[in-house]
Order: sequence, then C-alpha cells, then structure tokens
Amino acid sequence: MGTLLLQSQTQTPLVDTIAGLLGLDGLLGAVVGGLLGAFLIANVMLVTTAVAGPWAKRKITASFTDRIAVNRIGPFGLLIIVADAVRLMSKELIVPDGVDRPAWDLAPIILPFSALMGFAVIPMGSGVHLADPEAGLVYAFAVASIASLGLVMAGYSSNNKYSLLGGLRSVAQNIAYEIPLIVTAASVVIFTGSLQMSEIVAVQAEPLVTVAGITIPQWFAFVNPFAFVLFLAANLAEVGRNPFDTPEAPTEIVGGYQTEYSSIYFVLFYLGEFIHIFLGGALIATLFLGGPAGPGPEALGFVWFTIKIWAVFLFTQWCRSAVPRVRIDQLIDIGWKGMLVLSFANLVLTAIIVGVIV
Amino acid sequence: MNPWIAIGALGVVSIGIPLGMMAVSALLRPSVPEQGKSAIYESGEIPTGTARLQFNIQYYMVALLFVIFDIETVLIFPWTVIYRSALEQGASLTEVLLPMLVFIGILVVGLVWAWRNGAVEWVKSPLAESRKTERQT
Repeated sequence: MGTLLLQSQTQTPLVDTIAGLLGLDGLLGAVVGGLLGAFLIANVMLVTTAVAGPWAKRKITASFTDRIAVNRIGPFGLLIIVADAVRLMSKELIVPDGVDRPAWDLAPIILPFSALMGFAVIPMGSGVHLADPEAGLVYAFAVASIASLGLVMAGYSSNNKYSLLGGLRSVAQNIAYEIPLIVTAASVVIFTGSLQMSEIVAVQAEPLVTVAGITIPQWFAFVNPFAFVLFLAANLAEVGRNPFDTPEAPTEIVGGYQTEYSSIYFVLFYLGEFIHIFLGGALIATLFLGGPAGPGPEALGFVWFTIKIWAVFLFTQWCRSAVPRVRIDQLIDIGWKGMLVLSFANLVLTAIIVGVIV
Repeated sequence: MNPWIAIGALGVVSIGIPLGMMAVSALLRPSVPEQGKSAIYESGEIPTGTARLQFNIQYYMVALLFVIFDIETVLIFPWTVIYRSALEQGASLTEVLLPMLVFIGILVVGLVWAWRNGAVEWVKSPLAESRKTERQT
C-alpha cells in the first residue's frame, strides 16, 4: 500500500464498459459512455426514491404505528407510485407574493443535484461504478454539502418567517454535524490509507477473523463499531431526519424551508431529501459495510449494495417513528459538546491503536 | 479514461432531471390564479411584515468555530492517507503521530476555551427572554 500516494491510475469502470459495448474509444467514448452511465445511475436512484417515497415510507411508518397504509391500487398498493407521480406533477404551482425569484426557482434544482452527484463515486457492485477518482471520499462529502446552500436559498428567498427559521436551523444543524461526520470518516481512512472508493472497499474484503469456518471480512463496522455508531448518528443529522429534524419540524415551524413550495418544486425537495438519505446510506455501506460485498458470486454485488442502503433507509424510518425530536439548542449542544469531542477521541484512539499494531 | 468526464456527465444529467420534471409538470399543471392564493402562509393569519428583516443568528460564534474546524479536517485528511504507509515503511510514532496529536491538542484547547466562554451555545436573545410569557419552572 506504500505506493498509493503516487498512484495516479484512476478508472471509470462503467463508462469503459458502455464505451466498449458501443465500440467507441477516446474522448467520444468517454463523453458518450459517461452520459449513458450517468443516466443509468441517476435513473437507478430515481427508481429507488420512487419506491421509497410514496410507497415504502408509508408502509414502514404504518407498520410502526400499527396501521395498514396504501393497499388499494395495485398489488400491495404499489401502483400508488404511478398515481402519486401523476398527482404531484399535475398540481398547480403557486408562486407566493414577494419571493426572490431566481433563488426561489434554483433551490429545488440544487437539492437533487447535490445528492445525485454524490453517487458518481459510489461503487454499487456488479460493475456499476461511474467514476473512481483518487479523492473519491472527499468529493462525495463536498458535493453532499452543497445541499445546505439550496436549503438556505429556499429559506431566505421564500419571504416567509417559517422558511427563514427553517433555513437558519438547517445551517446550524449542518455545521454542527459535518465535522463529526468527516472526522469519523477520516478515522476509516487511517485504516485504508486511500481516499479512493474502490480501494476502501478492497481493503474491507480482507478477512478479519475466522470463527467456526466462517470468515468474517474486515468491514470497518466490525473493526471499529464505535466509529460506525458515530457516523450513523451524524449521518441522521446530516440528512435531517429524527431525532434531528428541527429544520422542518412540522409542529414548530410548519414545513421549515419548504413551507412555500408546491407542485413540482415540492416534489424536487422531497426527491432531494430522499436521494440524500440514500447517499448517506451508500456512504455508510461503502465506508463501514464493505460496499457491495456479500456472500455469493461477485455479480450479486448490486443486490447486496441495494440491501445495505435500504437497511440504512429502514433505520432512518425507524428513528423517525421511535425517537423524539431534540430542541435546536440541545442539537447544538449534542453536536459541539458531544459528537465533536467523541469523534476526535475516536480519531486519536484509532491513530494510536493502528500505530501500536502496525 | 478520465473519471472527471464521467462526473461532469453526471452533473449534466442531475441538472437535466429536475429541469425535465419541471418541464413535464409545466405541461400538465393548471394555472388558476385567485385572490389570496399567493399570500405567504403564516398559519392562516394575514401575513404581517416582511421576512427580509434583521435577525439574530443565534449560532454566530459556532459558525466561526465551524470555519476553523473545517479547515482543520482539510489538514487532517492528507495525514490520514499517509499515516499507515509511513508507519509500514518504518517511520517512528514520534515522527508521524506526535505532530498530529500536538495539532489536534491545540485545537482542543481552543475548543475548551470557547466552551468555557459560552461560545458553543445557542445564544438566547435577551429581548425574547424578557418577553417570554410561559411560566418559569
């Protein structure tokens, strides 16, 4: 692993495959393959979100609260996805008085953009991996945090006090939990010695221990469970889900930054939030759960990856149903006086332990 | 191939998808402007004043701290990348670990100082406190 720093070889596995299938090479192959690959990945995430938003979320929440939820249209109510898509698309767009127009229109574009961009570097298994730059991990965090910009724009441009409060709260929350999130990720990088996503996944494929003939891989959730729990909690705050959903707390400030949005703009906010949850899940899967690794042949990688991100989604929905919301001043306290200190303790301890072992 | 071409392609696609959805919706949706429909929502009351006002950013000091810690994480990342390989190539702990511990230590001292001075807090506005009508327990 000593040569990793000098390694400049980066790959674009999915793009190469597509370009190879089309028989294109050079720049044309890169551009056409890139566009097709990007389209494929974006649509995979759109389908995931379409299943999660109108259907799975309702079903999961209903199970937690002992209800039945959607079951009228199609098998298990699955066709509600189509019905909801048409319903939401055909809603009237109401532009409130005095909104700051370009910013108000741009915010719903920025949100899904930032979340979708993160998936460029996520290895989804079965060769579905758009790009693999050396700085993959840092890139993923960088684009994911563009979302705060969209939230502030939405909050400030809406000309609504609730929106303004929601926007301010979302910034307070993001700055309180981004540092613990990234520092915890840095403690994983100490093990891997690389920011490249494929390398992070490859390191986790090595065996940790063998118990009764079953080899447990070196997933960082097993190697450093403390970091895993920290990352999971910080990620909940980062995607704005309970117990950290103060920016859009419906019982306090109506809908937060999205109060004044209707029709397709509201759908885009919703879409952005859900893709963000799945991006968080994808980062957790890649950093701590071995990425697309799992029993069975390598071609099943995508299935395992999907199961892992859905597991994280289920966890966020569980928290949504089971954990009460924290107040905004408590949130700052937990972030800066709790998580930050714990994440630095985790980083220093990991560094010392790795230093002693190696 | 250069991975950033593919990432740029995803950027184009992920701007195109919201724009496409907006376009489809613009074809489908009705537009029935009515009086009062476009009023901003303030819990059903008639809106008072504007939202473009001076407000108290109650986490201002925290936001300043964030800038410091954000730069710190940027400086920590390169160290985490080389840490293990440097140790494997025979560098001693005092060479690779101690400087970083000192660096983090300085920042922790700074955090403790800010904490004790009450900077790491959601600042309560004195005006709002004095106007509070709920019962003090």
